[in-house]
Amino acid sequence: MEIINYLKKELQRHPFDYLLFITVGVFFIMALSIFKGERLIEFVILLSFVSFYIIWGIYHHVIQNSIHLKVVLEYVLIGFTILFLLKIFILP
Amino acid sequence: MKHVIDFFHHLLLPRQSNNFRSKLLHHDLLTAYLVFALVITLGVSHFQNQNGSILGFATDISTQKLLTLTNEERAKDGLSELSYNLKLEEAAQKKAKDMFAKDYWSHYGPSGETPWDFILDSDYQYEYAGENLAKNFLFSGDVVNAWMNSETHRDNILRKEYSEVGFAIVNGVLNDEETTLVVQMFGKPLYPVSALQKKMTPEATLENDSIPAKIPNVEAVLSDTETNLSFFPTYLNINLVFFAVLVFALFLDFYFASKLKLIHLKGKNLIHIFFIIFATIGTFIILKGSIL
Repeated sequence: MEIINYLKKELQRHPFDYLLFITVGVFFIMALSIFKGERLIEFVILLSFVSFYIIWGIYHHVIQNSIHLKVVLEYVLIGFTILFLLKIFILP
Repeated sequence: MKHVIDFFHHLLLPRQSNNFRSKLLHHDLLTAYLVFALVITLGVSHFQNQNGSILGFATDISTQKLLTLTNEERAKDGLSELSYNLKLEEAAQKKAKDMFAKDYWSHYGPSGETPWDFILDSDYQYEYAGENLAKNFLFSGDVVNAWMNSETHRDNILRKEYSEVGFAIVNGVLNDEETTLVVQMFGKPLYPVSALQKKMTPEATLENDSIPAKIPNVEAVLSDTETNLSFFPTYLNINLVFFAVLVFALFLDFYFASKLKLIHLKGKNLIHIFFIIFATIGTFIILKGSIL
C-alpha cells in the first residue's frame, strides 16, 4: 500500500508531464500497429519515441530546476540502449 | 550464501555501498548496456553483410514449421493434412522473386500477372488453387496466426478442396527496404478422371479452361531451405529478461528512495519504467508483419 501512496504522490506532483508521456506512448503503440510490417516507418516511429523520451527528460528537469549533465546522460543511455536493441527486430 | 545475497542487494537496493542508488542503474553499467546493444547491432549487421540474406537468420521462419502449423490448423477443423509439393514451392518462389523484381506487394503483378500464372508456369495443373502472402514477420507462428485472424486467409487455409501446399520464404529489397516475403501456394492437382467433373474456383476458371488434364506431381518432400538457427527467439528472451530486470531495479530504487526520502540527482524512475513498458509492448508489435 505504501508504494501506491508514493506512486500517487509522484503522479499528482507532475500530472501534466506524466499524462503527456503516456499519451505519446499510446500514440507510439498505435502508430506501430498501423504501420505493422513497414520496417522503415517502424524504425522512424521508434526513433521519434526515443527522441521524445529524451526531450521529455530534459524539459521535465529544466522545469523542476534539477537539470544536470548526469541526468541527461541517464535518459540518453537508456533511450539509445532500447533503440539499438529493438533496431535488430526492425532492421535485422 | 551471505555474499551472494549481499551482491544482489548491492545490485538492486539503494544503500551505502552503492551510494544509495541500485548499482544496475549507475552510469557505468548503463553505458555498458549501451555498448553491449551497439556491439550486438553492429555484429548482426556485419554478419548479414558477410553472409547475405541467409534464410533462417534474417527471420526465424521455416518451411517445415509453416507446414506443421498450417496442418495443425486444418486438423482442428477436421480437415485432411496438406502434403508438400515442390512444384507449388517453385511457383511460390517465382511469385516472390517476381514481386522483388517488379517491386510490388500484391496478389496481382503490375503487368497483370496472376498467382495462377506462376502455378501453371511451374507445370502444376490444378483443379483448385489459392495464395496467401505475408511480409516482414520474424516467426512462423506469427505468420500463421495472422493468416488465421484474417477471414479470407483463414478460409484459404481451411479450404477442404486443397490437398497440397508449397511455401517460399525469400529475402530481398521491396520498396527500398529489406523485406522477408512468405508466399503460401495451395493447390489440388487436376486428375484426368476428375477433370470431367471438376468444380473450379472463379479465379481458376479462366486459367484452367485451356489447360489439358495431366497427372499431378504428388511428391511430398520438404524444402531444403530450412535452418535450425534460433537467433531471434533467444534474442527476444534475452531482451525481455533485460527489460524485466531493469524495470525491477528502477521500481525498487523508486520505492526505497521515496521511503528513505533520498535526494538524488537522477532521472525520473517512473518515466524510465513507462518507457521500457511501452518499448516492450512495441517489441511484440514489431514482431508482426503484414499479410495480403
